[in-house]
Amino acid sequence: MIELAVSAAVMVSCLAGTVQFGYTFYIYNELVTAVGNGGRYAAMRTYRAASPEDIEKGKAAIRNMVVYGDARPAAGAVPQVVHLKPEQIQVEWVMDESGKPAEVNVSVADYTVDAAFGMFRFAGRPAVEYPFVGRFAPSESEP
Amino acid sequence: MSVAMVLMLAVMGLAFDFGRIYIARNEAQVFTDAAAMAAASKLDGTDAGLDRARQAVSRLPMRWNLGTKAFTGVRVEFSPDKQSWASVAAPDNQVEITFLRAVGGPAVFTVPAHSVAAAKPVRLIE
Repeated sequence: MIELAVSAAVMVSCLAGTVQFGYTFYIYNELVTAVGNGGRYAAMRTYRAASPEDIEKGKAAIRNMVVYGDARPAAGAVPQVVHLKPEQIQVEWVMDESGKPAEVNVSVADYTVDAAFGMFRFAGRPAVEYPFVGRFAPSESEP
Repeated sequence: MSVAMVLMLAVMGLAFDFGRIYIARNEAQVFTDAAAMAAASKLDGTDAGLDRARQAVSRLPMRWNLGTKAFTGVRVEFSPDKQSWASVAAPDNQVEITFLRAVGGPAVFTVPAHSVAAAKPVRLIE
């Protein structure tokens, strides 16, 4: 009986840790995939900059791509990673000396994994940097 | 009890070690994808373009092992005409195995990644 009590405590702790880390790793892997896809989309889409609102709309499309896998998601779309929201995605353009976009940084600004027995917080990662290879359209507006 | 402990280590190894291996694999693939695009975007048929491409790859800030380790041993190759494509390989990402080594698994597991990008990609996104 005592042996069972001792071994059960050890086993339950180990299984709880397994579930916790396994689920956290699964979520982190999903975040890496989502951020990578969003970064690639940002690198290849047209950069429209007729007004600051157009630049912001472009960033919103990139955030939607990360979260929903779609730049213009339907109402009620389900995020690819549980509880991930567009506000949690950071998009930053790096401009060259001529004012043309050179690189784009996409990262998860702040995301907490609720892994049943504990919480893990990811701030600023995963993050990707892609070169801009899309079309630069400084006088066009976002549709 | 010892049989149960071995089984438990194996289960923990499957969750913990394989989880880290899959993350490292994914991080390395995302890195080589971005690095190949960065390199290809600098190609112009000259040796100076190749230097700019190598610098663009070395400047990428992306990391692996849950975003904590820098990529090492990255190989960059180019098309013979120096302007068609760039290839980036990250072959040396060694994940240290924690639990599976206790039940006969390897001490480290290498997760390589490789990507090729065209200098003038077909535009499919507006």
